[in-house]
Amino acid sequence: MSQNKNNSTTMIWGAVALGALGVLGTYATAGLERFWANWVLWFVLMFTLGLGSLFIVALEHLVSAKWSVPVRRIPERIATLLLPAIPVGLFALCALPVLYPGSRPEAAHHPILAGKAFWLSLPFFSVRTLIALGLCTLGLAVLVGGSLKQDITKDPRFNLRARKFAPAFMAIFALVITLVAFDWISGLTPEWYSDIFGVYVFAGAFLSGLAATTLSLLYLQDRGRLEGVRGDHLYNLGGFLFAFTVFWSYIGFAQYMLMWYANLPDEVIYYKVRLAGSWRAITISLAVLHFILPFFALVTRDSKKDPKRLRRVAYLMLGAHVLDMYWLIFPVLGGQPHFSWPELSFALFFLGGIVLWIRGAMQKGEDMPIGDPFLREGLEFRL
Amino acid sequence: MSETSYAVLGMFDSPDALMQAIPKVRATNLGTVEAYTPYPIHGIEEALGLRRSPLGGMVLVMGILGAITAFGFEYWISAIDYPIITGGKAANSWEAFIPIMFEVTVLFATFTAGLGMLLLLNKLPLFGHPVLSSKSITGITRDRYALALEAESDAFDSAAAARALQEAGAVEVEVLPAPERSPFLTSDFILRTLGGIFAACVVSGLAMFFGTKWFPLLPPMRHIEDQPRLNAQKASAFFKDGHGMQLPVPGTVARGYLPTATGTQEQAASLVNPLPRTKEVFTLGHKVYSNRCEVCHGALANGVGSLTAAYGGKPANLQAQQFRDYPDGEIYWAIVNGKNAMPSHAPYLTDQERWAVVHYVRALQRAQNAKDEDLKVVAP
Ligand code: HEC
Repeated sequence: MSQNKNNSTTMIWGAVALGALGVLGTYATAGLERFWANWVLWFVLMFTLGLGSLFIVALEHLVSAKWSVPVRRIPERIATLLLPAIPVGLFALCALPVLYPGSRPEAAHHPILAGKAFWLSLPFFSVRTLIALGLCTLGLAVLVGGSLKQDITKDPRFNLRARKFAPAFMAIFALVITLVAFDWISGLTPEWYSDIFGVYVFAGAFLSGLAATTLSLLYLQDRGRLEGVRGDHLYNLGGFLFAFTVFWSYIGFAQYMLMWYANLPDEVIYYKVRLAGSWRAITISLAVLHFILPFFALVTRDSKKDPKRLRRVAYLMLGAHVLDMYWLIFPVLGGQPHFSWPELSFALFFLGGIVLWIRGAMQKGEDMPIGDPFLREGLEFRL
Repeated sequence: MSETSYAVLGMFDSPDALMQAIPKVRATNLGTVEAYTPYPIHGIEEALGLRRSPLGGMVLVMGILGAITAFGFEYWISAIDYPIITGGKAANSWEAFIPIMFEVTVLFATFTAGLGMLLLLNKLPLFGHPVLSSKSITGITRDRYALALEAESDAFDSAAAARALQEAGAVEVEVLPAPERSPFLTSDFILRTLGGIFAACVVSGLAMFFGTKWFPLLPPMRHIEDQPRLNAQKASAFFKDGHGMQLPVPGTVARGYLPTATGTQEQAASLVNPLPRTKEVFTLGHKVYSNRCEVCHGALANGVGSLTAAYGGKPANLQAQQFRDYPDGEIYWAIVNGKNAMPSHAPYLTDQERWAVVHYVRALQRAQNAKDEDLKVVAP
């Protein structure tokens, strides 16, 4: 068993090393724009996964949910991904002059960008990113740090504190995810804007957090851990996954339809690019992979607690989220979708890193918040 | 008790006793086994062998049906029956259908869920379930757990059922009489309801008809007319001259029409033949010429047509040097406006046909005055 794990850990380290070589190669040969587009993509992915998981934790405290107490440690551990996301994000600031039209000197002469010059300028952009990352760390410290401490102190006052902090954190969360979505993703096309964009990215972030939580839960259960967590708990996670595929498509389609109807040149250009050539195929497969497939895979009652089905849907959801973010970011490079060794190396590097981080987090400490007074009640949860 | 009793109730003191009794009572196969408890007991539905509710499947099917219905209806309205282009979108734009599809899907699904659950599966309306009138009901809602053997047919043996329950450990047994039949499911009631709905439809339809007829000043909805827009034949403060309708800008040409020769023949000289010299154009020109011009101008355009003798006029010999030097526009002008004894052909020929015949006349002229070089062009 442990021999096996050591083997797979070595393999992942190998993949990360190989990916790192490719990442350096991209920097040296494939052009700076390509390098930064990939970097920003993976920053956004790490960030949305971490923040989406933190949202699950905060949601539990907000509504004082009991059923999720036994599984809460999983999103708490995944949320720590926000820590390595900080250096990745700070480094990504170097992408600004390369990739973000609003931060280039030409912007001053652009009739639209000149009006947003202050907002888009490098210093203010960096300040916003710092604030966003700082607020995330605060949320992480209060919710996750407090919960870990409760394992030892068994102090029930943590629950009260978290319950009070959760509503504030929801406001922070909305602000942070909107800032990051607007700055890092729609900032690539600063002439274009959409009010609902932050919500769209939130839907994807929450889904990716749920999918990663489900996967990790099944991973731990396979290893005989998380005793007492049952199909009833799984069912709730599956139900969330199911519901939010619909939410994501609702928001995505609403945004598309309004722009399609109004047909304003500065708005439709966003979709024109994404409906031309091979991007069209990606757009359609996004609708299939992010909505139709998971929707029908989870529509029946039994499928929401069937570990095999859930595992597949969770993998699919994570893949679809990567595709979604790729679809948002990569058209900035112009022309047809770019996909070859640079993208693969970045995927190896970051994915390997993320898996190592989460797996490492899963080995540390308790699998359940043993200090939480509601743990028993959560374990006794039945549908 | 002449009628079949509805059920036999057995009372238990604890949920565990109830759970243990369930398999024993089910094994007797005397009737449907039902449990009544003050609060939900986990695992009881498996013990009772309750089958999975078909409601989910019904909702899914009806939801999909709703989506298809909405799509079909919208497609038929906007792309087949009454296609109007709105906002420059194609009549069959699926994007515009989605919101209504979504709404109708939800409508069908919720109605199916609500009504299917209430009417079909729970068999409502039902005033007073028989168990509610049992003397054990206060215990059932407080601290006692009841197991019922319910009659499935007239052959229900209540004595055997009572014995089975007692053997399974019931501390108390009660036989419940059959409930009175629902007052709603009689044919009389259903007929009256349908009749009432029909009468209501007739009355409200007639009221609507005569209401709008006798009080035409109260149109049902006229917001669509009260818009800040220009109405035909109405004054408007938008333009300086106060008219809602404006004359077209000078030189405006209607879409699909070429400017016609309205000036003098000399002015028309500058018009350029817009048609290319293709086979189709010449075929058209030939057809028009033999239908319309040949009688007067002759098949060779030399002014000797079959009609010429009878009619005494002198159609122009289009082979004359004068006409060979004519620009296209002047021939065109003659066709549109006529000249002296030649009537205008504007009413009979479309613009395309006029210019095609001009090409054809040119061809006739060249054929009659062919040079040696022309032979080379013709030669295969
Ligand atoms: C009813 C008999 C008649 C028909 C049909 C007729 N023409 Fe004429 N056309 C005349 C006569 C007569 C003249 C001579 C008018 C004059 O100059 O006095 C004439 C003159 C002309 C001229 C010379 C105009 C000029 O500037 O002097 C042209 C060109 C011409 N016709 C073309 C046509 C064409 C093309 C058609 C068929 C679309 C046609 N005509 C049909 C009787 C006819």
